[in-house]
Amino acid sequence: MKVLNIVLNGKAVTAKMGQTILELAREHNVFIPTLCDSPALEAAAMCRLCTVQVIEGKWPKFVTACNFPLRRDAEVVTDSPEVRHGRKLIIELLMARCPTSPELQRLAVDYGCDLERFAPLNDDCVVCGLCTRACEAVTGRTLSLAGRGVAIHVDTAFQKASEYCIGCGACVQICPVNKIAMEDVDGERRIILHGKIASRVKLPQCTSCGKHFGPVIDLQQVMERMGEHKIPPPNASVCPECSRRNLAIKLGKRYFEQYGVFEDEEGQANAG
Amino acid sequence: MSGTACQCQEIECAEVEIDYTLLDKIIRDDYGGNREAMIMMMQAIQRVYRFLPEAAVKYLSQVIEVPLTKIYEVATFYASFSLEPKGKYILSVCTGTACHLRGSGGMVEHISKRMGIAPGKTTADMKLTLETVNCVGACAVAPVVVVDEKYYPKADIATLNDFMDRLDAE
Amino acid sequence: MIEATQVATSPEVNKITSPAGLDIFRKELDSKLDPNAPLLIVCCGTGCQAAGSSEVVDKFREVLSGIGWGGKVIPLVKPTGCHGFCSRGPLVIIEPQDLFYQRVTVDDVEDIVNKTILNNEVIRKLQYKPANSKEVIPRASDIPYYAKQTRLVLKNIGKVDPTEINDSIVRGSYSALAKVLTRMSPDQVIDEVANSKLRGRGGAGFPTGLKWESCAKQEGTRYVICNADEGDPGAFMDRSLLEGDPHSVLEGMAICAYAVGSNRGYMYVRAEYPLAVKTLTAAIRQAEALGLLGDNIMGTGFDFKVTISTGAGAFICGESSALMASLEGKVGRPRPKYIRSVEKGFRDCPSNLNNVETYANIPDIITNGGDWYKSFGTERSSGTKVFALTGNVYNIGLVEVPMGISLMEIVYGIGGGIPNKRSLKGVQTGGPSGGCIPIPHKIPDINVGYGKLAEAGSIMGSGGMIVMDEDTCMIEVARYFVNFLVEESCGQCTPCREGLIRMREILNRITQGDGKEGDVELLDEIGNFTNNFSLCGLGTSAANPVLSTIRFFRDEYDAHIRDKKCPAGVCKPLFHYDIEAETCTGCGLCKTKCPVKAITGEKKKTHVIDQSLCIKCMECYKNCKFRSVKIM
Repeated sequence: MKVLNIVLNGKAVTAKMGQTILELAREHNVFIPTLCDSPALEAAAMCRLCTVQVIEGKWPKFVTACNFPLRRDAEVVTDSPEVRHGRKLIIELLMARCPTSPELQRLAVDYGCDLERFAPLNDDCVVCGLCTRACEAVTGRTLSLAGRGVAIHVDTAFQKASEYCIGCGACVQICPVNKIAMEDVDGERRIILHGKIASRVKLPQCTSCGKHFGPVIDLQQVMERMGEHKIPPPNASVCPECSRRNLAIKLGKRYFEQYGVFEDEEGQANAG
Repeated sequence: MSGTACQCQEIECAEVEIDYTLLDKIIRDDYGGNREAMIMMMQAIQRVYRFLPEAAVKYLSQVIEVPLTKIYEVATFYASFSLEPKGKYILSVCTGTACHLRGSGGMVEHISKRMGIAPGKTTADMKLTLETVNCVGACAVAPVVVVDEKYYPKADIATLNDFMDRLDAE
Repeated sequence: MIEATQVATSPEVNKITSPAGLDIFRKELDSKLDPNAPLLIVCCGTGCQAAGSSEVVDKFREVLSGIGWGGKVIPLVKPTGCHGFCSRGPLVIIEPQDLFYQRVTVDDVEDIVNKTILNNEVIRKLQYKPANSKEVIPRASDIPYYAKQTRLVLKNIGKVDPTEINDSIVRGSYSALAKVLTRMSPDQVIDEVANSKLRGRGGAGFPTGLKWESCAKQEGTRYVICNADEGDPGAFMDRSLLEGDPHSVLEGMAICAYAVGSNRGYMYVRAEYPLAVKTLTAAIRQAEALGLLGDNIMGTGFDFKVTISTGAGAFICGESSALMASLEGKVGRPRPKYIRSVEKGFRDCPSNLNNVETYANIPDIITNGGDWYKSFGTERSSGTKVFALTGNVYNIGLVEVPMGISLMEIVYGIGGGIPNKRSLKGVQTGGPSGGCIPIPHKIPDINVGYGKLAEAGSIMGSGGMIVMDEDTCMIEVARYFVNFLVEESCGQCTPCREGLIRMREILNRITQGDGKEGDVELLDEIGNFTNNFSLCGLGTSAANPVLSTIRFFRDEYDAHIRDKKCPAGVCKPLFHYDIEAETCTGCGLCKTKCPVKAITGEKKKTHVIDQSLCIKCMECYKNCKFRSVKIM
């Protein structure tokens, strides 16, 4: 494969054909801030925080590091005053939406942001699209970016609690500003978005201990989406805790019964 | 979710009777169930009901196997789709540049005030929906108002008042 | 009784099975034409239709059929696409005399038939008189508005009946396609287009030949797509082309398909243009029936099938990757990828996307050669461009001019100047991505071409040209465009979404009289940031209306912010009207016109405005014959 000669912040390095600037920078411990990037998902280049300057011909141009593929020798500047200034504005603008995010607060200090310039919108969402993309990757059935322009927002179909959510919690995990919550109460899992219930997923009851657990992700469906058909569905009737304990008991029986440690309750258990 | 918007929709949902044979004709016969034609199917459905009823959208989702949330995304992205029922008359004020320079903004304000509805909304008696459109390409006769596909060239407050008077009298 | 022998009656549909067959068919149609047959051409473009031209057509047909013609040739009524001279509509042109009648109403129809058609008598009140002149100009082709244009793309519009393919064929449609299919290789076609130096008419001005060449180089299935999602407010060139001469566009697409090696075409038409969709659908059906589109075109083995897809009301879908997403039935958000659509576009396949006007230019380039095309326009910007001339100008409508023409000539020579004794303040080009060119005060004039417009901080854009007079507030104009984009941005990327929200916030407060020192600098900072950091073409040009007005009309911003004055008298909190005592004659017109009775005064004495009652509706200002009402 062709090797590219890249000057990264003044230092000569080599890159693989088609490698993104972000990948290259990480390889060389050059930090580029990101908000909407996740290694598990395709780049969306929405937050624009990773914007850098690249010179492939004569003039420097602004590109997003997360998805700009290096295809020829180039010079990359990740921290020029112009770049820093743009990032500062992005953070200031997003802080006005979401002032409580620790991640943004840290960045605001790094970039010397003036937080008085823009009146707060307190919208609590930076519209990075990570949750909707994560949802899409898992089932694609619950969250999407509804509306457009200034009205764009993360939402469920018809603004109603989704009937299709599997309660996997990927959206909750991935939100960079921690604004999607999840709680398991009254035998159901709730995903809470913008302070309202975005989905309710019934939690199964453990046949062994009686506690609610889960949810049982429809693993088979997820696997099918990913092109895997052979994995059998998981046991949906026993909670993971009981399942672990039962397994321990089973193994214990198998190996320690002969020493008389275990009393035989179910004669056939060993055969499993 | 704003409670009112949702309630209104649910009430309407119950009222609108969905003709599934007709939906099948649109989705399967006219467009061959092709997902790429989803936007045009939605337009065809909207032509039937004058808005997109939730039940019809759900049916579309099942037939073409596109998640409901994706159709909702499309429906809220494109300005021509409405998830709320529209009034008997749809009055669109052109707010293209030429019309704007000749005062179409003031006309929108005037109708809003008199009918008590924001642009994009429908009066409580379901008689009138007020809309704005970005340019109908009739700049020579600006400002233009379109009521149910009939153009009113060089419209002014008096034209609008006439129209609204007639509406009130109905 | 003899029917007029325009080629309107459809003959038995016989497929044309060879390129030579097309020629024979055209000659046959041509031989049936009687150049002296009376013909009533009625413009049915959107402007004229809005003014009632459809009713005029119906009335003509009704009146004509009610007359016993006794052996005379019955005049044919031909509804056509937009003639371009919209401000004088509805227009009727009577052939063979080329007689031009303007502002024709249903009530005039009987007169026209009885006097002009039957007795050769001209109706003076319907004739065209230029502004500030008493001389009528009887013939359409002598009217300066038309005479000063160079109509290449628009040559058929207003001449052919767009609903009847034979009417186009007889004027040469599809002969360029026949030529490429018989006598040119795909490479030769691309070379000819490249030689013409035609640049994309959608706005960015990318060389068309180069685009075709890179698409042709790709492997696999290729698509030819026509961008008919004309969204710039105040621009309607593409609409007129589609509604007035659909076959030129279809032929251009077919030629492109042959050149790049494609057999599938898509047309993405704006939802707000139902008539264009109807006309196109019929045009495609007729062309397929004749074997000029579809499978095995003219028996040459070349297939090209065109499908129409409609938008659903999203300005952003004019952006190429958003358009292709929308064609796939998805949300029209621009794609976050650094891959050009000629490599990977629609369905991830190589896709050649051009705008309506670009395709419409192709048949003539093939027929007459690239050198001929280059003879129009300038070195860097060849050919002609169609503009939608609107705003504060006498003659509103479509104008086609050679590139490089002086902007002042468009406004004054063709446009007829500024009405209501106002003066010119600037011309806005390029729609929401463009800028305001401050002719004649800050820049005396400018030659309209891609490069020169860019130097002046604007762009060619798709062809919207909005003339603004002294009563236009530039801050309000900037606010208007930003407000438009706030709603029309897709909203996915931070700089465009948040930047526009903030620019609107600042512009709102400036026009409300709450502007602060530093606001202009902040606008400039956000504007440059938005233009550099955004994802797509919309975002990276979104701040142009703001930046260009700051550049040329900084004094107006300062007046709003520092003096709390709107010099143009538009931003209501920032001005009031006063009547100048020295010039007021006391005629009382303002007093009669004032809807809120805020003006008092005795006859022949200076009138006074009660500021507490005045709603600043502009009626007194507009109507004062002595310009005594002043903006303060």
